[in-house]
Amino acid sequence: MLLPKQMTRVLIVGSRGALKDTIEVLYQLEAAHLIDFSAEEEGFSLGAPLPESSDASQKLLKLRSLEKDMGIDDMDVRGSMDIAQVEKDLASTIFELEAEITGATESKNRISARISELEAEKAVLQNFQALPLNLELYRDYDSLKVFTGKVRADPSSALKAAVPQSEVFISDDGDFVAAFVNKAQADEAQKALVQFGFTEVPAPVGNGSPQQLVAKVDEELSTLRSSLEEAVKKLDDLKDKHAVFVKAADEHLSIIVEKAETPLRVGTTPYTFAMDAWVTTEDLPKVEKEIAEKLAGKVHLEALETMARREPRGHGHEEDGEEKHVEEIPSKLVNGKTVGKFEYMLRLLSIPKYREIDPTITMSITLPLFFGLMVGDIGYGIPFIILGAIGLKKCVSDDWRTISTLLFFGGIWSTIFGLFMFGEAYGLHFAEQAHDMSWSSLLGVQLPHEIAIGGFEIPIGIYSKLHNVKEILYMTLWIGIAHLFIGFCIGFYNKAIRYGFKHAVIEKVSWLMILVGGALLLLFLVDAMIRGKEVSLTDLRILIAAPLLLVGIVMAYKGEGSGAILELPGLMGNIISYTRLAAIGMSKAGLALAFNTIAFEVMWGHDFHVLGSNSGDMIILIAALAIFLIGHLTIFILAIISAGLHSLRLHYVEFFMKFYEGGGVEFKPLKVIRKYTTDKNGVSE
Amino acid sequence: MADAGLIAIGAGIAVGLTGLASAFAEKEIGAAAIGAMAENEKLFGKGLILTVIPETIVIFGMVVAILLWLNM
Repeated sequence: MLLPKQMTRVLIVGSRGALKDTIEVLYQLEAAHLIDFSAEEEGFSLGAPLPESSDASQKLLKLRSLEKDMGIDDMDVRGSMDIAQVEKDLASTIFELEAEITGATESKNRISARISELEAEKAVLQNFQALPLNLELYRDYDSLKVFTGKVRADPSSALKAAVPQSEVFISDDGDFVAAFVNKAQADEAQKALVQFGFTEVPAPVGNGSPQQLVAKVDEELSTLRSSLEEAVKKLDDLKDKHAVFVKAADEHLSIIVEKAETPLRVGTTPYTFAMDAWVTTEDLPKVEKEIAEKLAGKVHLEALETMARREPRGHGHEEDGEEKHVEEIPSKLVNGKTVGKFEYMLRLLSIPKYREIDPTITMSITLPLFFGLMVGDIGYGIPFIILGAIGLKKCVSDDWRTISTLLFFGGIWSTIFGLFMFGEAYGLHFAEQAHDMSWSSLLGVQLPHEIAIGGFEIPIGIYSKLHNVKEILYMTLWIGIAHLFIGFCIGFYNKAIRYGFKHAVIEKVSWLMILVGGALLLLFLVDAMIRGKEVSLTDLRILIAAPLLLVGIVMAYKGEGSGAILELPGLMGNIISYTRLAAIGMSKAGLALAFNTIAFEVMWGHDFHVLGSNSGDMIILIAALAIFLIGHLTIFILAIISAGLHSLRLHYVEFFMKFYEGGGVEFKPLKVIRKYTTDKNGVSE
Repeated sequence: MADAGLIAIGAGIAVGLTGLASAFAEKEIGAAAIGAMAENEKLFGKGLILTVIPETIVIFGMVVAILLWLNM
């Protein structure tokens, strides 16, 4: 059940005339993962695309460029059309549409080009507006050289000193200058000007005062802008009117092209074709029946081999170059609806191989569990559940759905841990505390330490994240050991089905023994070093742990070589890495404590020794609540990022390294996905 | 206890220095991982794994700090 679906390799052969119908049938079955034909086999050559492909491709090309012009290439359009209608419209509408759109786009581009031209002109003219000269006065002199341009500071006195025979005009704000000097002294004048950061702005052609010219340009600009608006509106209208058709036609043509190009993946001879494909063993009878019924006598399907999970070449050969010739068997993951929501997180890493366990199900349990343990607070847990539920309902994209899934299930665990284990909301415990404020002291009500349900005393809050650090740290170490234990067990199973029991024992049981031995040693060390108990070396735990460790290390050394010895501290590191479950919870609790202290103790004057004490000032209470809200919103967002990412990391790095290989190929059967089109006729096309 | 201050300083150094060490290591790997992801988005998972590997250093530092703190 945990393994990907079993696959059977099939060969479909038939007369070449039946190729089109065969492709059609396979697309309807949605059950065959085609293997690309490698052009090595003698007598076979790659098939040629079906004739309808070239016409459809041409239309598609035209359509795509229209989509770009209309700006709907990546827009989400709502609505769909029947393909019969699309087919009918394609012949007539597409050419009209092309003419209309091209016209509208061209005029829009022309107008925008003219607008930017005029705007540049205006920018130049605006400089000259500040000087009291008409434009014709800047040119056509025999003996004068005219400098116009921007300066950083007023150069007139320096220029007068360098070139006494000069006339300088400067704008009121002192950053634009026009200087008239004798041509013979132009060089000196330039040198003097350069010192003031002179950059030349040549005078524009034209006559009359710059003010009048600017006004004229403005007038033209405003008419152009309104016609641009019209052009844009026209394009928008066209877009609204035709978006659904364009999208539907795009989809319809893409499907035609995809189907028509399928022969490129098939081997053909002048009269026959041969198609290699993977079909799940479960679907095989259905595929056989369908092909026999619909293509009787023309096409034959032969089931070649049902793939076992065991590696055909035995252990140690998987790295060989020969392996490349063996087609990768696609993995079709089997997960239910709820567990399937976590599949995307596995895909982020890679798809499982055909011959290994799909770990989605273990991930779907432990990932939210770790998330919940790190957050461990009802105050955040319930909003997480609500946010996640909304996200699962509203979001479409895989990324957001995955985040929502994690928030929803993680939120449930956060609430459970928050209520029973830590007994807190927003970093404040419910029941009265000796050293801290709590909801009891804040609200002035005695909240219970435990509730009795049907004779059972159910505690609310056993541990405090900040006061029981030792216990929580110790607990997380054991969570790590348990998680890694599961990892090695899955690894054992994977190795056993792939290479046989013996290999699995040497490679994975060795590590299981080291892990168990290490765990017993941990128990011993905690007693000896932290609790300070009297222990002797003949302790039962040592007597079991020492041989386990010794045999485990020897076996690992035999199985994996000296690398295994180097991995020993790595395993210890992996276990210690799980203390992040405690660390992140602590850091969040610390932040929450800081915000709560600022808001209630410092601002509101709350004293936790006295139930319900405060300064009683309403305005300060509102300010304190604002601080409380902002602070906890920050922690809330940090919680999503840190808790989510760290629980993901614990799986990707620590857990998966123990068994997961990945790098499989996803099972992608021939099928069409229609979003904008509907196919009423279904079968007959 | 008279040594409380020294223990606190020691714990601070343990977390602070290992934090810096993790940060330096992750900086380089993270930049390279983002570069690789820009080329091929499918590398996100591998990039994330490689980026967070040095984080173990700071976790060790934290454990040491907590052990010190518990002896305070």
